Amino acid sequence: MKILVPLKRVADPDNANKVKIPASGEKIDTTGLEPKPNPFDEYALEAALRLTENGQTPKVRAGEVIVVTFGPKECDTTLRAALATGADRAIRVDTTDDKLDGDLVARALKAIVDREKPDVVVMGKQAVDGDSNQVAQLLAEYLDWPQATFAATVHEEDGALLVGREVDGGVITLRVKLPAVVSVDLRIVAPTSVYSTKTARTFKYNDGVRFAALPAIMAAKKKPLVELKLADLTADVAPKIVYNAFQAPPARKAGIKVKDVADLVLHLKDEAKVL
Amino acid sequence: MSDAFDLENPTEEHRLLRNTLRDFVRQVVEPQADEHDRSGVMNKALLKRVGDLGLLGVTIPADDGGAGMDAVAAALVHHELSKSDPGFALAYLAHAMLFVNNFYWASNADQRERYLHKVLSGEWVGGMGMTEPGTGTDVLAMKTTARRVDGGYVLRGHKALITNAPDGDVFIVYARLDDQVTTFVVERGFKGFSTPDKTRKMGMRASMLGELVFDDCFVPSANLLGHEGKGVGNMMRNLEIERLTLAAMSLGIADRCLEVMVKYAVERQSFGKPLVEHGQIQRYIAESYAKTEAARALVYTVARKVSPDTRNRLGTDASKLFAAPVGKEVADAAMQVLGGWGYCDEYKIERFYRDAKLLEIGGGTLESHQKNITKELARLVSG
Ligand SMILES: Cc1cc2nc3c(=O)[nH]c(=O)nc-3n(C[C@H](O)[C@H](O)[C@H](O)COP(=O)(O)OP(=O)(O)OC[C@H]3O[C@@H](n4cnc5c(N)ncnc54)[C@H](O)[C@@H]3O)c2cc1C
Repeated sequence: MKILVPLKRVADPDNANKVKIPASGEKIDTTGLEPKPNPFDEYALEAALRLTENGQTPKVRAGEVIVVTFGPKECDTTLRAALATGADRAIRVDTTDDKLDGDLVARALKAIVDREKPDVVVMGKQAVDGDSNQVAQLLAEYLDWPQATFAATVHEEDGALLVGREVDGGVITLRVKLPAVVSVDLRIVAPTSVYSTKTARTFKYNDGVRFAALPAIMAAKKKPLVELKLADLTADVAPKIVYNAFQAPPARKAGIKVKDVADLVLHLKDEAKVL
Repeated sequence: MSDAFDLENPTEEHRLLRNTLRDFVRQVVEPQADEHDRSGVMNKALLKRVGDLGLLGVTIPADDGGAGMDAVAAALVHHELSKSDPGFALAYLAHAMLFVNNFYWASNADQRERYLHKVLSGEWVGGMGMTEPGTGTDVLAMKTTARRVDGGYVLRGHKALITNAPDGDVFIVYARLDDQVTTFVVERGFKGFSTPDKTRKMGMRASMLGELVFDDCFVPSANLLGHEGKGVGNMMRNLEIERLTLAAMSLGIADRCLEVMVKYAVERQSFGKPLVEHGQIQRYIAESYAKTEAARALVYTVARKVSPDTRNRLGTDASKLFAAPVGKEVADAAMQVLGGWGYCDEYKIERFYRDAKLLEIGGGTLESHQKNITKELARLVSG
């Protein structure tokens, strides 16, 4: 199976409370925050690796995983880390985040899919910086491929994927024919979430994403990493969403103390209007 | 930080290794550390997991199944592991540096064939026996002897204070053959070889310490490591990376203790203001920071000049002489800043404090570094 995994580099999500908005409101300032791969994209990579191996013998690769990112030269480190973890090839589309929106990324990804012809695009459900949650859906639409979003489980079948999605009150299972677009949620890295046809269903993965082995880190620099221009992928490089100004949400007001349960219910009814 | 000159991560591979280790240490090493400190048992499953990541052969060339990295990478691994679990890091050091690294550079093809895979995977735990009950710093006065017999050697004597002795499978052992120090590889199960009960100790409890007893232990000729009478060469070469990585462990302890004390001092209120606003607390924090940064600069500068083919006695002695007290002093400062809560186990400072002291003793006491450095400097003057 050939899988394309888009990866985005974001400002350290564990310290998201430290982002600032300058008085001018022109941008979100993430200075000083360490760049990290978007966690959902790391989960997508882990899912893709599980789909291209027998879990018992992960060093023997069965299939191809191509990672792609949109960003400046510094993002090569993110791609190298993905290569060290097990991806086979990497593509960096040279641009910067302020020149992109989800639609432009989806159109550019379509061009890459047309070239690479993967069996499936596995991606994070959203990037934790903008939280837009659009690219997978837009990409599936542009490709006219079936899509399964927020996957919690993926089991490979012959020519299809069985995708479990958690919804209110249970799990929906979808069978998507390949090629397809799958976006993943965080449960996808649980020990029994993903099985290729090669992995025994009794096998249990370590919880979470895998760690790059040191010899693989050394070997990663020999794996191909190509740079593309955005204009090579789509003629129309203008984003459709233009950000005019940013504004921090109002600071939280201090809470109040209620006398008793009756008082609490009153406040919930009259002020919060949730009852 | 600008990448132009990143002392801790000279190449992209070092940076990737460090990032991977940080995730691994946070997710896998940290959660098990307290438990193994309390039980006093080494986490063998963790050593195997570390083996799966290729970390047991950091310095072993890639063609022989290692990662083919340098002493900076070796320092880096010890540094990061020690931010969560210095005790495990010591067991790792005894295995990966004192056994694997030492063994590799002294072994022949047949020996590598027989042992390397087992210790690189973590299937077997290794250790190294140099110290004896009666000789530590004065190591060349060791009393364990070897004599030639048909098909090999017979070892007689007693090693003490040996990390991984109670649970190790294979050891590098130094003994006198015709009065010349010679190196042997001894497997658990060799006739006449035993490891009595573990030795209890103040800290580093996630590694086990014990004795190696050779009661007319037969060692086949194939297990002579290097040449007869040439043990001091192996010993001295390997002591350099040992001192460097021990110094890096101290740096890891200092980094962790500094982080904990700053966070605590920002959050804890006393006399109507946070601790960080009290001058005496500022002194603990600021001096700890300056010392830690100085240790970092020294350890990683020296690390660039340590390799199997070059000698760097001065640098490695200096890095451990300087860094070992830094770990201990910063742990002590952290405990003071945390007050009674530092003395209790919730913030883990008391564990790091107990662990830190070892670095002033193991792998060479502070006094031995002082002696060696001065001897070397004097030799440079007098020729
Ligand atoms: C937790 C732990 C793990 C260890 N792991 C290992 C291991 O895996 N393998 C191994 O072989 N050894 C190991 N050791 C032993 C360690 O290397 C020795 O403890 C160390 O070398 C000191 O030797 P000693 O304890 O015999 O002290 P001694 O040499 O007896 O020293 C006692 C004191 O006298 C001082 N002193 C000695 N000689 C001089 C001198 N000439 N000038 C000035 N002062 C002097 C010392 O500095 C020290 O303060 C370990 C020790 C510990 C505590």
